[in-house]
Amino acid sequence: MEILPGITIDITLSIVVGLMVKILMILLLLLSVIMVRQEVLMNKVVNLPLGKNLRVLVWVFFLMTLILTTIVVIA
Amino acid sequence: MPEIFDANKKEDDGLVEVKRLMASGKYKNDWGSLILSPQIKFESQNEGEKVIVLGRRHFVTNLGWIALICFAFFVPFFWNEFPLVADVDNNVHFFLTILWYLSLALFAMQNFLLWFYNVYIVTDERLVDVDFFGILYKNINVTQIRKVEDVNYSQKGILSSFFDYGDVVIQTASEQRSDDVFGKGGEASPFTFEAVGNPNEVVRIISELMEQEEEEEYQGRTR
Repeated sequence: MEILPGITIDITLSIVVGLMVKILMILLLLLSVIMVRQEVLMNKVVNLPLGKNLRVLVWVFFLMTLILTTIVVIA
Repeated sequence: MPEIFDANKKEDDGLVEVKRLMASGKYKNDWGSLILSPQIKFESQNEGEKVIVLGRRHFVTNLGWIALICFAFFVPFFWNEFPLVADVDNNVHFFLTILWYLSLALFAMQNFLLWFYNVYIVTDERLVDVDFFGILYKNINVTQIRKVEDVNYSQKGILSSFFDYGDVVIQTASEQRSDDVFGKGGEASPFTFEAVGNPNEVVRIISELMEQEEEEEYQGRTR
């Protein structure tokens, strides 16, 4: 498809879906940041003994999401 | 001179019900639905205020979303059965699979956190109901034990009878209704301990606290 005179792009289903996946991955990364913050706030309201373990868990999830999002967006 | 009676002295003998339950050796699990004398602190805790009971919804109430996740786990195995997904490249398939499993993990952790931190706290002075709805809204109800008028509980359905959990409804003088989105059209009272394990024991403990409070009021001791 010619979007400007002399410039053509070939839009396929894979490109559209790939772009959507990238956008959703970034959204998921934002949600995981919110979850990390929310866990801290929840633990402040009620300081439960297992709160620290859960904090580690949500941080691990956030880092994992960050790495995978970076890979998917760059690829 | 021996001290015979001191009006300001607190009774620190503990509750009979709590002692009886503690002696049974149960209710100490941090993941449980009913925890006695937990080592926790909460935001508005007064100095010297002792937490007697920590409750949360029974684990069985999580079965719905756990089943959903188990089902969703197998969906990527059948990507090729979906009309549009079948037509995309292998790379995009792979990214879509990553996105799917990350979303599932986020959903699971979100539900787990909400279950874990939606707690009901009974202290020797107050009742605290901590409700988190989603990740951006919380609702915390606090009342004094002496303001409690009535306590009752209900068990509805097969699961609640089988696993011994139910809703403990605590009536206070307040007319306020809780905007609990988990309930069907809101809770009966702001202090509804939903799906808490062993509701009969919770009711007994709160009743005993009420009696103790009345006795202290009668004797002129205040906290």
